[in-house]
Amino acid sequence: MAEHNLEQIEKIREAVKQDLLGGRIDLLLGWEKGHYWWQSRPLFAQSEEDLEKLAWDSFCAVNLSRYLLEELKEHNKVGVLVKGCDARAFNRLLQDNMVPRDRVILYGLPCPGMLDYDRLAAEAGSVLLSITEENGQVVLITAEGEAKADRDEMLLDKCRGCIYPDPAVYDQMLLPPQGEKESPERFKKVEELEAMSAQERFAYWEKELSRCLRCYACRQACPYCSCRECFVEQENPRWQGRAYQPSENFMFHLIRAYHGAGRCIDCGECERSCPVGISLQELNRKLIKDINELYGDYEAGLDAELEPPLLTYRPDDPAAFSEK
Amino acid sequence: MPRTGVFICHCGTNIAGTVDIDKAVEASRNFPGVVHADEYRYLCSEMGQDIIKKAIEEQDLDRVVVGTCSPRMHEATFRKAAAEAGLNPYLLEVANIREHCSWVHKDMGEATPKAISLLRAAAAKAALNTALEAPRLDVEKRALVIGGGIAGIQAALDIAEAGYEVDIVEREPSIGGRMAQLEKTFPTLDCSACILTPKMVEAAQHPNVNLLTYSEVEEVKGFVGQFDVKIKKKARYVDSVKCTGCGICWEKCPSKAPSEFEMGLAKRKSIYVPFAQAVPNVPVIDRDSCLYFRKGRCQICEKECPPQAIDYEQQDEIIERRYGAIIMATGFDQLDPTIYGEYGYGQHPDILTGLEFERLFNASGPTGGKIVRLSDGKPPKKVVFIQCVGSRDKARGMNYCSKICCMYTAKQAVLLKEKVPDAKSYVFYIDVRTAGKGYEEFQRRAAEEYDVAYLRGQVGKIFPEEDHLVVRGVDSLSGRLIEINADMVVLAAASIARCDAPEVGRLVGINSDSYNFFNEAHPKLKPVETHTAGVFIAGACQSPKDIPDTVSQASAAAVKAIGLLSKDKLQGEACTAEVNQAECSGCLYCEAVCPYSAISPVEIEERYHGGTLKRTVAEVNPALCKGCGSCTVACRSGTINLKGFSNEQILAEVDAICLQR
Repeated sequence: MAEHNLEQIEKIREAVKQDLLGGRIDLLLGWEKGHYWWQSRPLFAQSEEDLEKLAWDSFCAVNLSRYLLEELKEHNKVGVLVKGCDARAFNRLLQDNMVPRDRVILYGLPCPGMLDYDRLAAEAGSVLLSITEENGQVVLITAEGEAKADRDEMLLDKCRGCIYPDPAVYDQMLLPPQGEKESPERFKKVEELEAMSAQERFAYWEKELSRCLRCYACRQACPYCSCRECFVEQENPRWQGRAYQPSENFMFHLIRAYHGAGRCIDCGECERSCPVGISLQELNRKLIKDINELYGDYEAGLDAELEPPLLTYRPDDPAAFSEK
Repeated sequence: MPRTGVFICHCGTNIAGTVDIDKAVEASRNFPGVVHADEYRYLCSEMGQDIIKKAIEEQDLDRVVVGTCSPRMHEATFRKAAAEAGLNPYLLEVANIREHCSWVHKDMGEATPKAISLLRAAAAKAALNTALEAPRLDVEKRALVIGGGIAGIQAALDIAEAGYEVDIVEREPSIGGRMAQLEKTFPTLDCSACILTPKMVEAAQHPNVNLLTYSEVEEVKGFVGQFDVKIKKKARYVDSVKCTGCGICWEKCPSKAPSEFEMGLAKRKSIYVPFAQAVPNVPVIDRDSCLYFRKGRCQICEKECPPQAIDYEQQDEIIERRYGAIIMATGFDQLDPTIYGEYGYGQHPDILTGLEFERLFNASGPTGGKIVRLSDGKPPKKVVFIQCVGSRDKARGMNYCSKICCMYTAKQAVLLKEKVPDAKSYVFYIDVRTAGKGYEEFQRRAAEEYDVAYLRGQVGKIFPEEDHLVVRGVDSLSGRLIEINADMVVLAAASIARCDAPEVGRLVGINSDSYNFFNEAHPKLKPVETHTAGVFIAGACQSPKDIPDTVSQASAAAVKAIGLLSKDKLQGEACTAEVNQAECSGCLYCEAVCPYSAISPVEIEERYHGGTLKRTVAEVNPALCKGCGSCTVACRSGTINLKGFSNEQILAEVDAICLQR
């Protein structure tokens, strides 16, 4: 692990240690290393000992804000390390009245973009032992030797279209921010899908969604899914059939996507957590694009004060059904 | 299992002509829960209702489905019949097999199975219907009239005479509106001011009428019986209590601005009353032209005012008041004819609109009542009137007929002849439309006795030449080109909706047609009601109208408002939303989308791991809820549900239609 990375971890630890031990927060949500070196999982730190496990590397993809929903039931005041998407997720929860702002301390971290192990492993060719990073390059270390790859090419899909790597909301910024990024290709895939005929598009999604196991991992990871009882589990009325068939899979994903219209913060956790790799982010991005086109540019999660477009009415709102 | 009775109406041949009633009755007997099915020629008749009532009693029915016309027509009738037989009225369900079925189909083979599907859906929904009670709501015994023209004045006086308080909000400094600008009124030629000003004074003096002039409605909240209205009383800079209306201030005021009342043809002072008979006779200061407000100097009005009524520090004032009913009487505007380049309006002082020409007749108007050319002050000998400038013009103007122009043009031609005996009038028209009591007679007299030449045809070009205007047109009856050397041209510009009508309509929650005129609830049977309960419309804000029609409509609107105010309680909506608070996540999106402010957050306590947790959830105030269902759509988990139209009921309907083929 690179020197500057250890320095960064030390800096983060020092900052949160004071607050945790001094009683300003009861719990810190951060990351720790998982079973493999390429996994960083959530850390629930309540002691100095716990803080020793704190990790901050290129695998801290898990969006931590979602954990606040449960943790705030147990703890009075919670600190969270937030990247750009974690912070937007926090704003989502804030706008949905899911978290009280005064019971959360946000520690901001600028996100370099998280790496995709599958990509690294494929690039390495043989068994990947570890990596180092330098000057926008990833050094892949295998038993056979070392190889280099462009870091941007090794990013998770969800990080490739990221425009806001810095947190939009925080109480304390722990590392210097890095500024907004351009993402000319954010809607490229959506545009390709839009260009298809209805039949082609249906065939595309039918194929994608046919793999869905309905494990609902996407929903569990999602910051806009905060219902106490999801429609898929309701008995009366039973919206979602239990049968494992394409129409039921469509029902789940389309309804879920519509629930995110104007609310999805485009963190991509749904797609990252999907065990069968369904391109769920495209479904969400289609709705983001539609909302932008219909109601003017709106980036969910950037500003908690700005009302979501579907919750406001302006006389010049488009009447998409009657204008044609 | 419910005991449902199905009753199918023939509606004469309206339904029976395309739906096989016997088949529908037979099919209905097999729906789940149906224990009785019957049919009748006219179910809404006394006899028909008796059939339903008798069956409820004899067959011990606890649900009723009627296959009839739209619930908009007779739902109330049948619910009442059910209630008379001891059944909660909300246990009755209407299957609309007329508008939704028999009227849109020709083939009995298609319409019959569709009617059966609709009946099956209604029976499935009815099985889930529950007994509901409508809340009873208070009525604030006061009306608000928006607009102080003749429509607003008449409506307010009628309401006041019935014994209810009424406020008139008028945005101009005086009430009177368009009628105050008119010289004489057709067809009897009585002086407009002579018949209007007594009404203005009556309104001002009536103990039940409160005038809020130079004021505008800022916000309307609430609902029928309880509209909460914010009214902005604009600063006049004159103390209305102290002012005696002596007129010294506007006599002495050194600065001038174009007079709105005179259509810009004359100037008024910066402190002014719009016209001599203004009510109230209290001036306002126009900040934009006043020397003191512009440059900080002058203050002559303040120095000269005997009762010291001038107050430069006066501020706009917000009045908040509750009303039971609202009447919209916001009037109309005149189309600006500059879009018709060929008529040259705006490029020559002797080309006027009808309303501008009207002002020339008035003794206190820009010419002191003399009919003269504004270019050189000479009386015009030849005047060309052009009809339908912007009316009946699909391409460039309005499709509709402005209704008043044929008559006021005839009136102006008659008045012209009286003022300038050697004047000759020419009227270019498409059709002469003079329906109305005494109207045709009046127009014929103008044509036959007052030297008015009616030319059927259109004008293609008007241009100045030497000291006159050349009017070139076509006489479409003879096909000849006509050229008239006119001294003056009068354009009957279309009557159009106020430019801000849609915004004003939105304030009170009523909509407008494609021309921005306010929509009535039904073009024939509810001409003064709107789709918003408790809001009525009167006068030219609904469509172009003459004075008799406007006054009639104003009285009609007043009667509707009086009927409302005379009730002790109003029946509220029974089909209101309710929240399953145990499942509500408290996101309050429902609160954001509720147009009636009927939803608010409430804190509840919940058991959690042996202790208790406090959390916020949504709560519906059933008195405020109108049952629109917006909240149920915004709620992602379906936690908020609409009584009478619950998710379960609607899905039962869908299943009843889709699962049976």
